[in-house]
Amino acid sequence: MSALITEQPVEPETPSESPQRERARLDPPELDRIYEEHSRPIYYLALRMLGDPTQAEDATHDVFLKAYRKLGEFKGNSTIRTWLYRITINHCQNLLQTWHRRHIHTTDDEAVWERAAGSAESPLRVLETKELGQRIQKSLDGLSEEYRLLLLLVADEKLSYEEIGTLTGQTSDAVRGKLHRARKSFAALFNQSA
Amino acid sequence: MNRHTSKLNQHQQEESALNQQSNQQQTAVEFASAEEMLRHDASQTPVPPAVAERLQRSVEQEPKPPRSLWQRLFGR
Repeated sequence: MSALITEQPVEPETPSESPQRERARLDPPELDRIYEEHSRPIYYLALRMLGDPTQAEDATHDVFLKAYRKLGEFKGNSTIRTWLYRITINHCQNLLQTWHRRHIHTTDDEAVWERAAGSAESPLRVLETKELGQRIQKSLDGLSEEYRLLLLLVADEKLSYEEIGTLTGQTSDAVRGKLHRARKSFAALFNQSA
Repeated sequence: MNRHTSKLNQHQQEESALNQQSNQQQTAVEFASAEEMLRHDASQTPVPPAVAERLQRSVEQEPKPPRSLWQRLFGR
């Protein structure tokens, strides 16, 4: 998984020291606006990557505080949202690596799931219950980190395949190709979780 | 009388079962894809308000950027 996020970020998360650093902070009203517009997708990504609401709250706080400190170094080569996603992904991956609490699935694991996925092509049907979030989390946890991240990013309609490719270090064509497998694996896991 | 009560109970049970079934039908949701389901889930998952409050406190505690030479000279 370490290869998933390459060192070609949309914007460097922690660039080197520069004269811009002095004017690197956001005005609080600007931070309010950015928080208002982007906090929900950032929190959701953190929640589903970490699988823990309390840790997701901490991560969301840390991501926006980092953005507040570093905005002067944001050069506008990407959208603010993509830049925030970059910070979030790196932050969560660092936490996960520290925790060592996730089981990393290999490609073989994925193949097993796909072979077992008799109903993977059928629509995902669910009763509107509180368990939906738990089932989604359980299904995402069963995926490889790459598939999980791809699905979470594609669910944000504001991100293009190109941006997702840049965030995950691959071409947009590769994203499209892997998405098909990711969807199938998710559907199989979700239908088994009922 | 007993027979009547029994029939009434049976009728009530059938009605209750129908209501449950009807409720389930009303609340069943179908998603065409994983990302559609995730999108729905995200829309139902608000950020806890405590995060914004905590962020505001953290920003207030951040050191102020140093004043420029111009500001220092003219006291602005």
